[in-house]
Amino acid sequence: MDQRNFTYMFYGFAAAWLILAIYVVSLVSRGRKLQDQLETLKRTLSQEKL
Amino acid sequence: MFDKILLAVGLTSGLYLVRNLYTMLLVLPDEAAQGMIYRIMFFHIPSWWTCFLSFLVAGIASAVAIRSKSNRADSLAVAATEVGLAFTFVGLATGMIWAKIIWGIWWTWDARLTWAFITALTYAGYLMMRNMIPDPSERLRVTGVLNVFAFASVVICYKAIDWWRTQHPGAVMSFRTGGGNIDPAMEGMTYHNFIAFLLLCVVMVTLRLRQEETLREIEGLRRLAYSR
Amino acid sequence: MLRQSWQIFLKDVRMELRGKEALNASLAFALVVLILFSFAIDPTSEQIREISGGLLWILFAFSGVLLVNRSFLREQSNDCLDVLLVNRVPASALMLGKTFANLLFILMIEAVCLPVFSVLYNINLFQLPLWLIGICLLASWAIAILGTVFAAMTVNLRLRELMLPVILYPMIIPALAAAMYLTNIVSVGKVPEGDDLIWVRLLVGFDVIFTTLALGLIDTILVD
Repeated sequence: MDQRNFTYMFYGFAAAWLILAIYVVSLVSRGRKLQDQLETLKRTLSQEKL
Repeated sequence: MFDKILLAVGLTSGLYLVRNLYTMLLVLPDEAAQGMIYRIMFFHIPSWWTCFLSFLVAGIASAVAIRSKSNRADSLAVAATEVGLAFTFVGLATGMIWAKIIWGIWWTWDARLTWAFITALTYAGYLMMRNMIPDPSERLRVTGVLNVFAFASVVICYKAIDWWRTQHPGAVMSFRTGGGNIDPAMEGMTYHNFIAFLLLCVVMVTLRLRQEETLREIEGLRRLAYSR
Repeated sequence: MLRQSWQIFLKDVRMELRGKEALNASLAFALVVLILFSFAIDPTSEQIREISGGLLWILFAFSGVLLVNRSFLREQSNDCLDVLLVNRVPASALMLGKTFANLLFILMIEAVCLPVFSVLYNINLFQLPLWLIGICLLASWAIAILGTVFAAMTVNLRLRELMLPVILYPMIIPALAAAMYLTNIVSVGKVPEGDDLIWVRLLVGFDVIFTTLALGLIDTILVD
């Protein structure tokens, strides 16, 4: 029982950290993608102007 | 400069969480009835508070957005909703793991759990709706109203333990019971982790908010490109 | 404003009764699902008494969504909605009229399904007719008011038939749960009392809160 208790406590902690970590990673990667998109768009627009 | 402050706050919350981990594992004793598993509460309760708070912010931001047609408030509403949803999943996952040990089952359909699930579904529906409406002003109006409606389920979820007899434990925090139901050290620990989560939440909302503004800029540039 | 709502109501009812498209379709759907229930559970067992309320309200929620989905779609051809709003029909009057029309349609479905269910599954649902009517009115109003508001939100979406249930069902669960519970008690001839009254209060509170919210926010959705 105690062993299982400990294992599940560990799972609980891991789950909390993992979900937040995954969210942060996805957040950062999405931010980078958006930034890239913006740069490309700006570049194409300025090229068209010339 | 702003980036650095953001990074610093993020790191602070991370370090704070690690420090809390040390206290809760090595300083605080096991709980008499539940053994060591009770420590999941230090993640479970603060994550729900954080999630409720972000949904509250999202609701207020949506109300402001539909009132004053403010795009910034609209962006804040999405950012807070999405981050709140992440914390909802933390709350659900930790709660289920705790329940598996204490109740012997992963899930039970009592009022609190049911409404937690409904809340998650409602806000997921909100985020889905956003992706489906291309016109920004229509999106602001429609999803803003939806967000205000959705907050009702948060209120029900928060009050469910008072309104129904639930299998989910009732209120233990002293600001709801008047004290005496929880060891002060354990209650303090919950607040410590709550502050850490809150800092993390602020960082994430800010990041997401910025993305939403980048997205708006991209949309604007696209429209410009099409119009030429 | 009430006069305008009344006119919208009459217009919607007349339009629907002329073609009966949505009504027929959702009635047929409801009856098919009623038959499907007999395969999901043993129709002769006593068990059905305990879950009849649940089955019925799932059914009404499904066919209700089919009905409310149509109510703003009806205005889409020839931009009727814009014409109405430009001619200074208040959005709240518009919504109220449509809600009453939808309420009437849902009640019509219920009026057919309740007796049919009683006969097919050998339960007398009408032991306390006034209670049953009251529950039907309150819960159908909940479906109608929220359904109408959300139909107004989703009417311009490409996937509106999918999105409406996705956002509507989680929101109306409190009302549906109350209706299911109360229908179950009433169908065995027990008057709701004591602890059961919290469900009545929940149902009434739900209707009041969401009707107020809907009336306050509908302008934002439709007008500007």
